[in-house]
Amino acid sequence: MDGSAFLARVGAYHEAGWRLALINATTVVAPAAGTHGHVTTAEAATTGAGAPTSAGEVPAPATPPAPSAPVAPPAVEAPGVFEIAWAFARGNEFETIREQIEAGEAVPSVSELFGAAFLYENEIRELFGINVTGIGLDLHGQLYKTATRVPFSHAAIKARLKANAAAVKKP
Amino acid sequence: MKKTVIPFGPQHPVLPEPLVLDLVLMDEKVVDAIPTIGYIHRGLEMMVERVEYTEMGFVVERICGICSFMHGMGYCVSLESIMNVEVPERAGWLRLIWAEISRIQSHLLWLGLGADAFGFENLFMHCWRMREQILDIFEKTTGGRIIHSVNRIGGVKRDIADSELAAILVQLQELGAAFKDTARVFRTDPSIAHRLGGVGVLTTEDARAVDAVGPMARASGIATDTRLLGANFYDRVELEPVVETAGDCLARVLVRMREIDQSIDIVRQAIDKMPKGEGQPIENRPRGLPAGETFTRLEQPRGEVLYYVKANGTKNLERFRARTPTFANIPAMIKLVKGCDLADVPNIILTIDPCISCTER
Amino acid sequence: MANPLTLPMVRRSLRNLVSRPATRLYPTEVRPRFAGARGTIEFDVESCNFCMLCARRCPAVAITASRDDRYWAIEQLTCIACGVCVEVCNKKSLSMSVDARRVHLRAEAGLDGARPGHEEWHGADPAAVKP
Repeated sequence: MDGSAFLARVGAYHEAGWRLALINATTVVAPAAGTHGHVTTAEAATTGAGAPTSAGEVPAPATPPAPSAPVAPPAVEAPGVFEIAWAFARGNEFETIREQIEAGEAVPSVSELFGAAFLYENEIRELFGINVTGIGLDLHGQLYKTATRVPFSHAAIKARLKANAAAVKKP
Repeated sequence: MKKTVIPFGPQHPVLPEPLVLDLVLMDEKVVDAIPTIGYIHRGLEMMVERVEYTEMGFVVERICGICSFMHGMGYCVSLESIMNVEVPERAGWLRLIWAEISRIQSHLLWLGLGADAFGFENLFMHCWRMREQILDIFEKTTGGRIIHSVNRIGGVKRDIADSELAAILVQLQELGAAFKDTARVFRTDPSIAHRLGGVGVLTTEDARAVDAVGPMARASGIATDTRLLGANFYDRVELEPVVETAGDCLARVLVRMREIDQSIDIVRQAIDKMPKGEGQPIENRPRGLPAGETFTRLEQPRGEVLYYVKANGTKNLERFRARTPTFANIPAMIKLVKGCDLADVPNIILTIDPCISCTER
Repeated sequence: MANPLTLPMVRRSLRNLVSRPATRLYPTEVRPRFAGARGTIEFDVESCNFCMLCARRCPAVAITASRDDRYWAIEQLTCIACGVCVEVCNKKSLSMSVDARRVHLRAEAGLDGARPGHEEWHGADPAAVKP
């Protein structure tokens, strides 16, 4: 991902008085290996069209949401891909920036602009193994104490799915 | 002057759940605070891999015992949004009523803990005695005192008869009248004013800089309330965010106290406005499997809770994330403890209303 | 030092001095649960046709059953009293009583080293089950 362009967009949100609501990571478990590549749904996400807005917020007037339509999966999927969503809120408005990140790729921290981001970034680093650089308050992997080291990494998820499938099912 | 590091927690009399703050002290003043959580991390978000989406509601409402109803409601609202299901009107009103009663119960719990934090056990017991009446209401209407299990995707499982609703309203209004006495103690007692007044001041700019939510932000003068978004039937009741400007611990106490009265009023409005009569539909069961993703925002007693749900057309959800208000308020808490006296740390930490089991799922 | 008689809690405290305690002496004195309370799952093996729906739908996987062996068991300590099994049973063999589980009283009575809270029924002859 383009670090400086991303930080510029986050800076724009900060200037306009938006509040950081969430930094969420999702492990994209691809059903079949696709071609390598990065798709940033950044352009679509500026108006919030990337995600259908829910009953919990008033949809932005410019984008008519279609909550019944599934969000189109990214055009290219590679094994070891995470999708990170930075969600910003201001009053009734709610917008997200989406980025597809390869495992190991460096993600710049937004904690200089949004101080509260350090907690989310420490969490995604510890639970997903995403390489977030330059976090304001870096807790060096001491935030959570989990039995599995990086519970949401691709390897851990695949191991669990296999174990679940092999386990004795309910009749 | 020597620097000492004292760990606050994981067990501490004021904390409802374990939390560690390594306090770096210079004499008696806190210079820095480093948080560690994870003592109650149960990996509930990992459960989506094993538990089907219909059953995940039961898991989600067990994230926390105090905010249980709203978690269940938030999950069901998210799934309803993904599956494009509209909740029947009576169900929507019932959810609003239960949510507000849950807010009263949570604030009474917190006021009791707040009083206990500086040793006022008498007041603690009074708040919790009043809370018992609310828990009895929950047991009568939902079957459980803490974990309610009434939210289903598409509606609610149980109905409340109109006569029972009227009785509940009378009971709540009596509670509100009895609470005035306790509120007077919080407002006028000199020891409370001494312990909480002027302590842990969060200015409006700081509250904005750390993205505080809920009563933390409202006590610092920011009029933000997720209920104003108007979803889940909140646009049909009149409500104004309860705002205080002092920004200290006492202001946060006052915000929560006034919110109890506000919730009783909202319940009164809801019972007034909801469609009357027996035998109305309360559940609109969805068809098919969920596919899509959504963000849902609700106002829990502690602030704005944000749910991100992603479904991929199978019986198991792909991702469920609950960003609870305490998670968003931890940076505010760390900002507040820096520069305060060691003796004030428990009070300050308690005034963010820490619900660490929500934070760590 | 403030005049004690002007402290806000004094009125309340004096009133408490002369009124009866608000505490109920549990477990000597147990409040009967309200009519709608969710308590323990009760099972009637006579009417069950072993369709296994309850075992499939239980979110806590507390119910194990077998059609061939005509066996039905519930782990009361695992049960979360959600009521889904009661909802889906089409033979009305399952019901929810309002009494809270006194599993600890049954724990010592586990037969043949059964797990505490484990309750098990064995079904009647299929011909005897009502259609």
